[in-house]
Amino acid sequence: MSDTAPLIKIEGLHKSYGGVVQVLQGLDIEMTAGDRVVIIGPSGGGKSTLLRVLMGLEQIDRGSITFGGNPYISAKSGKTAIDAKVRRSIGMVFQHYTLFPHLDVIGNLILAPTKVRGEKKADARERAMALLTRFGLAQKANAYPAQLSGGQKQRVAIARALMLDPKLMLFDEVTSALDPELVAEVEQVILQLAHQQMPMVIVTHDMWFARNIASRVIFCAGGVVVEDGPPEQVLGSPKEERTREFIERVFHIKH
Amino acid sequence: MTFNFAVVFKFQDALLLGLLTTLKLTLICIVLGCALGFFLALARTSKSAILRGVSSIYVEFFRGTPVLVQLFWVFFCLPLVLGVELSNLASGVIALTLYMGAITSETFRASLKSVGQEQLDACVALGLSPWARTMNVVLPQAVLRAAPTLLSNCVSLFKESALVSAVGMADLMFVGQNISNNTARPVEVLTVVALIYFVIAFPLTRAVTVIEHRILKRLAV
Repeated sequence: MSDTAPLIKIEGLHKSYGGVVQVLQGLDIEMTAGDRVVIIGPSGGGKSTLLRVLMGLEQIDRGSITFGGNPYISAKSGKTAIDAKVRRSIGMVFQHYTLFPHLDVIGNLILAPTKVRGEKKADARERAMALLTRFGLAQKANAYPAQLSGGQKQRVAIARALMLDPKLMLFDEVTSALDPELVAEVEQVILQLAHQQMPMVIVTHDMWFARNIASRVIFCAGGVVVEDGPPEQVLGSPKEERTREFIERVFHIKH
Repeated sequence: MTFNFAVVFKFQDALLLGLLTTLKLTLICIVLGCALGFFLALARTSKSAILRGVSSIYVEFFRGTPVLVQLFWVFFCLPLVLGVELSNLASGVIALTLYMGAITSETFRASLKSVGQEQLDACVALGLSPWARTMNVVLPQAVLRAAPTLLSNCVSLFKESALVSAVGMADLMFVGQNISNNTARPVEVLTVVALIYFVIAFPLTRAVTVIEHRILKRLAV
């Protein structure tokens, strides 16, 4: 896969809840393996829904998504077809960690590799320890999620997703539920992944983080892409009126 | 009136035998009843309206009638309906299992509901198959959450099991009653019987509190 061929290609994506509330209204996005896309926009604008669709967690009404040139998600006569094999090459981290509370940290990390890929427990543990060490969590290997801070939980959640060697990572407002002093440790880990050229799509309200990690910023509102460009342009001097209003409002609140 | 508790010691072997019957009956019914309860809970939360309907009627019926009546019905009516002879133990096991299934199904149902949608989303994101999801994520969490209430259910069953003495099964209560009638020492004998029940049930009810606290701490994420 070259850096310029699309990794993800979304065409004419429509999604409503119960056929009434239109959340995504004809979304077209192309993303290459070299992209780190940050999606910003007002609440209810469809950012998180888009991420959930990309993870294969939602039914869609119309449109199609390909991944690495292969069909991934499509809608045929009201039914959503999702290629489970393609889905396994995508990892996602959620706002509320969603660690498995009955398993310790190591158990959380090795569950999917051993159950999905049939990896040997010893091998999975070894890889898990290496990841935890890299994320500064080696001492927490045998702790349960309830004994961790929010920042630690979220780093474990990221490590858990990485255990499956994803080709794309999705981050859905992963620092929104954190106390302010814990945000940096999680963002550091994601920046570390960015340096290793991990393709990612990030939904965030943190404009500092957006500016620092994005190769591309997409402003989504009303279920469509309003503006799409490099971070300096979209965040610094937006072309569209709606983007400018949004950015001004966000920074106004921040300062 | 003077009390002579030494009388009771003469009958300790008989009481022990009665206690063993009580424990055997209770343990069998706990195992069978919990299994029945788990499947009833799955049926009550299933997509099929028939499964939901049948299981709901069953559970409501057994929760809404006295255990003693259920017991009498299984002992005296079931053999007539089925046309087969049932031993005392078999009848007791059937009656108390059906009752235990009904009450534990409510416990399981609540705990199944408590495994939230976010946990299921995480399973999809990790590529877990529906089977792996049920066995490795939903079931362990449901059982963990259900554990304290299940233990309470077990203690209830242990106490309710004394009712089988009413249909002539030689459990602890039955033996106690016999001894008390034969010795004309109801105060001593029945007090000791009550204490035996208490000595077993009390640590279990205390354990419920401890386990509940631990599990809540573990699952508070």
